[in-house]
Amino acid sequence: MRAFLAELSKLFSLPGIWLACGIGAFAPAVIAVLDSIAQKEDIIAGVSTRLPEAGYIGLAVGVQGVIILGVLAVSSEYSTESSESGGGQQIASSLTVVSSRLHFLLAKAGAVTVISMLQCIIAITAVVPATYLILGEYTPLFEWPKLIGAVCYWTFTALLAFGITVITKNGIVPLAVLIMNSSFVSISFLLSKVTKLALYLPDRAGIDMFMSLSESILSPFTGALVMFAWVGVLFSAAIVVILKRDVAS
Amino acid sequence: MKVSFNRRLLRIFAAELEKLATLPTIRFNLMAAFMLNLVLAAAFTSAGLQGAAGTQAILNTGLASMEYLQTGFIVLGVLSACSEYTGGQIRTTLTVMPWRGLLLSAKLLVLALVTVPAAFIIAGSGILYSFFMMKETAAGIEIGTVISSLTGATGYLTLTTLLSAAISIVLRRSTPAMVVLLSYYFIVSPLTMGILPGISHYFPDRAGYYMYTPFTFAEADALTALQGTGLSLSWTLMFISAAIGLYRRRDA
Repeated sequence: MRAFLAELSKLFSLPGIWLACGIGAFAPAVIAVLDSIAQKEDIIAGVSTRLPEAGYIGLAVGVQGVIILGVLAVSSEYSTESSESGGGQQIASSLTVVSSRLHFLLAKAGAVTVISMLQCIIAITAVVPATYLILGEYTPLFEWPKLIGAVCYWTFTALLAFGITVITKNGIVPLAVLIMNSSFVSISFLLSKVTKLALYLPDRAGIDMFMSLSESILSPFTGALVMFAWVGVLFSAAIVVILKRDVAS
Repeated sequence: MKVSFNRRLLRIFAAELEKLATLPTIRFNLMAAFMLNLVLAAAFTSAGLQGAAGTQAILNTGLASMEYLQTGFIVLGVLSACSEYTGGQIRTTLTVMPWRGLLLSAKLLVLALVTVPAAFIIAGSGILYSFFMMKETAAGIEIGTVISSLTGATGYLTLTTLLSAAISIVLRRSTPAMVVLLSYYFIVSPLTMGILPGISHYFPDRAGYYMYTPFTFAEADALTALQGTGLSLSWTLMFISAAIGLYRRRDA
């Protein structure tokens, strides 16, 4: 518990986390508003094919906040300080204090999970009124199971980013890949046109938890299971890596 | 020791080139971009081949991965600019070379010199791949269009790299720079295309899009390649001059 509180305090003292929280809280609402404005005419005319997605698209594309959170939580431990102040890495001190590496990792993952859930709840409370503001009576119903699916999607995304960064140690690669893939031109979307197997990639499966796209083949529950399996695999890999790795390397 | 001005310029360039060439992440990044671009070209080609035969354009398929490829070059710009700021290298650099404006110009010029061949090879390999895979089914292809598109693609990637480097110089840390650039290129820009179709042509990435997209494929209200080049060049120059201005005045 003390390790968990320590991880929370470490995370909140990173300036990048406040950037992540700001993006996480506002980006989904902004995206939802802009997309609703673009879709409004079609929706009122009754010809929009994307009506059930309105609003949710903000939650699907706006996950940058939690991606940054998951990546920074790990990469900040591994960033080398300048040679003028000793050239150390924070992880050495962290592991001196919490000597069980498993506990260290679990406490950190717990902190990331809690913050990403909070971020998603804030984002949802911003997205729902924002969509109502633009679309008024045409707004699709926001149902609880779907909103819970969105919270799961955000949390799992944060944990995926966390696990990948533990393996790569450097934050730039996971940041680039994950942000690009969560955007409007995602690679998994492209791959899903080549092979149906790409629908089982974590982000495609995760989106099925709260959006029903035309080409999706997973139910919300199986989508959650598939994404959770991805998180499990990456997280076990991260545990193995961090247990075996020499901290100084 | 008195050294002539030309000699000195040459030394600055050589030093910057060596610094850039000895960064291991840059080599790794370029190789990863090359491989991923080929994988994406393969994916686009196979998606294109599944469509109706004879209707697809080789060039369009070969250049379809540009949207993803630019990520590699954004990362290149960020890495090369921010590497000075991890640790105290920037203070050493400025001690040996106190003319900051000249230093930054030399740095960006060297970056451009490295980026041009890399962008040419990587973008060209994508086009070549889809050419070999599709030459039986697709319509003929003119060598002139290929050359102009490839030149445009190289120019666009180079300008994107320089723009990212300029923004990273302003922000100094790689994570915020990455977040700002990636969310602009992948979230903000596609969104504005939907709501402000009139203005979005003039944004750096949309203007750059017309540099490599052959005129016949683009929409009716598109810019010509020359207009696109001019616009993205002026965006890049604007950001570079802002970066140089700030770099000269700021406490390192």
